[in-house]
Amino acid sequence: MNAIIAIGVIAVVLAATLGLGIFGVRRIKMDAEQYIVGGRSFGALFLLLLLACEIYTSFTFLGAAGWAYGRGAPAFYILCYGTLAYILSYFMLPPIWRLSQRHNFLTGPDFFVHQYDSPRLGALVALVGFIFLIPYATLQLTGVQVLLTIAGYGAINSLAAVAIAFTLIAVFVFGTGLRGAAWASTVKDAMVLIGVVFAGIVLPVRFFGSPAGAIDHVLAAKPHWMTLTGDASANGVVWFVSTVALTALGFYMWPQSLAAVYSAKNEDTLRRNAIALPVYQLMLLLVYFAGFTALLVLPGLKGPAADQSFMLVVKQYYSPWILGFIAAAGCLAGLVPASVQILAAASIVSKNVLSDTFGIAKTSAERTRATRILVLVVAVLAFAFWALARTTLVGLLLIAYNGITQLFPGVALSFAPRRPSAAGVAAGILCGIAALAAFAMTGTSVVGGVNVGVVALAFNAAVAIVTGYAIPALKPRVPTADSSTR
Amino acid sequence: MREFDPVKRRTRLSVALALVPVLALTLGIPLANRVEPRIAGLPFLLAYIVCWIILTPAFLLAVYRNDNRA
Repeated sequence: MNAIIAIGVIAVVLAATLGLGIFGVRRIKMDAEQYIVGGRSFGALFLLLLLACEIYTSFTFLGAAGWAYGRGAPAFYILCYGTLAYILSYFMLPPIWRLSQRHNFLTGPDFFVHQYDSPRLGALVALVGFIFLIPYATLQLTGVQVLLTIAGYGAINSLAAVAIAFTLIAVFVFGTGLRGAAWASTVKDAMVLIGVVFAGIVLPVRFFGSPAGAIDHVLAAKPHWMTLTGDASANGVVWFVSTVALTALGFYMWPQSLAAVYSAKNEDTLRRNAIALPVYQLMLLLVYFAGFTALLVLPGLKGPAADQSFMLVVKQYYSPWILGFIAAAGCLAGLVPASVQILAAASIVSKNVLSDTFGIAKTSAERTRATRILVLVVAVLAFAFWALARTTLVGLLLIAYNGITQLFPGVALSFAPRRPSAAGVAAGILCGIAALAAFAMTGTSVVGGVNVGVVALAFNAAVAIVTGYAIPALKPRVPTADSSTR
Repeated sequence: MREFDPVKRRTRLSVALALVPVLALTLGIPLANRVEPRIAGLPFLLAYIVCWIILTPAFLLAVYRNDNRA
């Protein structure tokens, strides 16, 4: 009975949200541009919703609490990197937006194609985006699976839950485009806010009188939980600062984030969003309180199980109606971003690899078909990654960010007075990813306390600069007015 | 010559303003890595991070004003 109520609540909420997403786009004729960049007419509020859609994902909802539960202070990095990314975005996004309007960019990699005059570099960038969106999509899939398993009160095993999550993601991808996702994310964010307030305030108040009371109890039991270790250990202070820097640089390298930037109505919209968005991060504070409360109420969850932390508390102490509502909020936090991410992964490969580089899937109908097939490919790969990796949600996000940040040197160097050659930038990206692969195979996540992603990024930038300026571009490129930043 | 270019100088002020929260949330972290003093019940490290997140929009707003100055 409990399972029927909780799952029933989830089903109603998901159906209503999907309905709103479809209702929101009902009068808009769908072509590729409308589907992927929403017709380039998003004002400040709508764009805020879309960018915020990318912030409040399964990762925020479960992963941040899971790390607060499992590791303590290292989880605070999540609060910092978003803020730094918005500061960077204030300066970086307006010039990218101006280029996108002048040259009709559709996908993230189109920026590279134009800046380096190289469709092949665009194809490489598209493949990098595709590959590293898989762990990100896996993260969302895992989040939904965890929530469905908990809401099933033992009636749904994890394989059944992941199969349902997989189907739901496909329904959301095909049901909504970018504009639909922005509508759906209004419901998602409102529900996540209620869920997070419940988890971060109501739970600690019930058990410890206040969130501060929960922190007192954690400090009494684990005096070092709220500070970082000073040495070069796995999640110490050096790791913290390097990870914050790395993820902040990677934040807007995601193809779906760049596509969201192109969809802005004007550049002032982007600046005003950059000013407002840091405050939106503060919701994470409540997520930490939820994780800390769970640590005391239900100790002993190890590894990926820590991601279930506060949901298990809700399940044990509250009615299935409340569990269903919070799980529904969490499912939306996974499904809405997942649909945007999977759509982005599929569309960059169909446009920048299949169509622009290999000349297949040229017509609109063919490209739509290729995108649909690729959507399923991404979903299947995310499923495979789920079955193989079995790491925490934060672990998945760190894999994704280590990879996508390798695109940053190419974006930054494209605004230099003299651009390096496309071959140099490509060599940098490949070397950075090869370094990541080598670290992954040897099981190394920190070198001297520094996140290996930063080491790979430095290697990437060095290779890009050395080979990029040593090997001249095949076609000499006349610097254009749009290469200046302002 | 470039030193006296008013546009360059204004851009420099903007970048300097924006760098304050960036440095606070990276290089400042090791200095703030303490539990005491607790602020509003939060351990100092977390309170420090939260304070800078609240201050960041103020700094970006100052940058925005500076950029849009007639």
